[in-house]
Amino acid sequence: MQAALIEPQATSNQEIERRVRSTSRLSAATALGIYQNSYRLRIAACMRDQFPALCYALGEGLFNDFVAEYIRQAPPESYTLYDLGRRFAGFLQANRPDLDAPVPELWVDFIIDLARFERQIFSTFDCAGAEGLHLAQQTTRDSDLCVQPSLSLAAYGFPVGDYYHAVRQEKSPRPPDRERVYLAVLRKDYVTHTIPVSFAHFVFLQEMCRGGTVGSALSAVSQQLSQDLAQVEKAWNEVSEIRDSWINAGFFLDRSRA
Amino acid sequence: MKATPAKRAEITDLPKLGLGLGLRNTHFDHILNHWPDVDWFEAISENFMDSGGRPRQVIRKVAERYPVVLHGVSLSIGSSDPLDMDYLQRLKLLAQEVQPQWISDHLCWTGVMGLNSHDLLPVPLTEATLDHIAARVLRVQEILDRPLILENPSTYLDFRANTLSEPEFLRALCERTDCGLLLDVNNVFVTCFNTENDPSDYFDSFPWNRVVQMHLAGHTDCGTHLIDTHDQPVRPEVWALFSLAWKRSNGAATLLEWDGNIPSFGECHQELLKAKAYMNGGTAQLSGKYVPVPGALAVSNPVNFLVPDVMAGSAELEDR
Repeated sequence: MQAALIEPQATSNQEIERRVRSTSRLSAATALGIYQNSYRLRIAACMRDQFPALCYALGEGLFNDFVAEYIRQAPPESYTLYDLGRRFAGFLQANRPDLDAPVPELWVDFIIDLARFERQIFSTFDCAGAEGLHLAQQTTRDSDLCVQPSLSLAAYGFPVGDYYHAVRQEKSPRPPDRERVYLAVLRKDYVTHTIPVSFAHFVFLQEMCRGGTVGSALSAVSQQLSQDLAQVEKAWNEVSEIRDSWINAGFFLDRSRA
Repeated sequence: MKATPAKRAEITDLPKLGLGLGLRNTHFDHILNHWPDVDWFEAISENFMDSGGRPRQVIRKVAERYPVVLHGVSLSIGSSDPLDMDYLQRLKLLAQEVQPQWISDHLCWTGVMGLNSHDLLPVPLTEATLDHIAARVLRVQEILDRPLILENPSTYLDFRANTLSEPEFLRALCERTDCGLLLDVNNVFVTCFNTENDPSDYFDSFPWNRVVQMHLAGHTDCGTHLIDTHDQPVRPEVWALFSLAWKRSNGAATLLEWDGNIPSFGECHQELLKAKAYMNGGTAQLSGKYVPVPGALAVSNPVNFLVPDVMAGSAELEDR
């Protein structure tokens, strides 16, 4: 029966008749078809909820077609529907229509980036967070700063955060031009925030998300940007606005109060 | 001296909770702000067991004030895959946290070979299936250290291999495992219509002494068949069945499910409270043959409450 759900065309009417009883109103194939249709439509509905901006960008019909092929190639494996979209961006990347083209198509790159971002933000909604933990204060020492559990960083080739939030606000955005963006996503008081950051900040925060300290994060910035470490440390110590704004936004916990 | 192990609860120990509602994310704010006068709540286990966010916070708060029951859709008790021990451990952890009155799931399978259809698929009602499921129920009860409560699913097809009726199957399963039953009255109506059986016959052979809980819900009439959509009020024919079921179950805990096009909490509550009239011998008629009135094309969506609108109003974009 599962094979008949995943590959409806591969199941013969004869096989269905052999296993399922027809009634006066429903043939065996029609009865099985209720499950087959429900499987496809149910997954598509859940995916539309998890990828609302992507659905808007593609249009519902095309989005549903992509989902149908996605679950044909990669049927759901987890007991939770929250896992449904985990492999979707990878599927889109592996099946991109411009694989043989000399230059990647802008539209395809955007769609894949948008899928990645929607997965990032969807995952943040219900992951472990800082609620109930001690968020850092302005007075917290650098050596006691560590990132809060829900913080994640990602780089994109398009302003997908702007696009996503415009769709959610029903502003009917147009597809954006290429623009390198770095987005921090986190949850504070059960509200998920998208926060654009610079490349240097991205490097810093990414190192801290890997378990690094402020010191190792500043070293990472120094190396990645080919800047003198002393200069980077000086900038961190003298320009407190960034540190303060990140602390206010809930980026960090105070590990001394854990 | 050895400590005597605590006796596992039996279904006869389980309370009659009255009239309850499903704990749905669209109603979270209303519940937390108003603490409505509802007897109890049923939470979808999978909606909360992996949550590190607001759903987990909400169920903790709700469980402090109301009796809570955990109702699952992913146990897949009928599958030929091994039991998912990770799933069961997560379920057990949630149960330790919210102390539910009981834990229920469905007589169904959701997938095999590591896949999951996210549907409640029917099992062949045979002696072999009974042996298989009974062994799994016993193992689940051992792990959860409590009786498992199983619900009759809505079904859309009838296997030629079936040798037992659903009530016969459930009766035998209860006898072998001491599990309890969640009688979904709407599912009885839907399944009987779709498989051309009589709900009265179903009721006559149902093991009523095992019923711990009942479900009520709306379905969609597709003319040739009914679909369990949980997206509209309870149909009069189902209320009539409920009236009988209430008496036969001796007043089992009753819950209204509403999972698609969910109206306000107040409207759901009003629909639930209609049950009171039928508990007192309501007027809906069960006599005569049901005449279908086709509605819109419908999708069976027994698990759609897991995700929709889950992030509505909870995401913000900061200024650069």
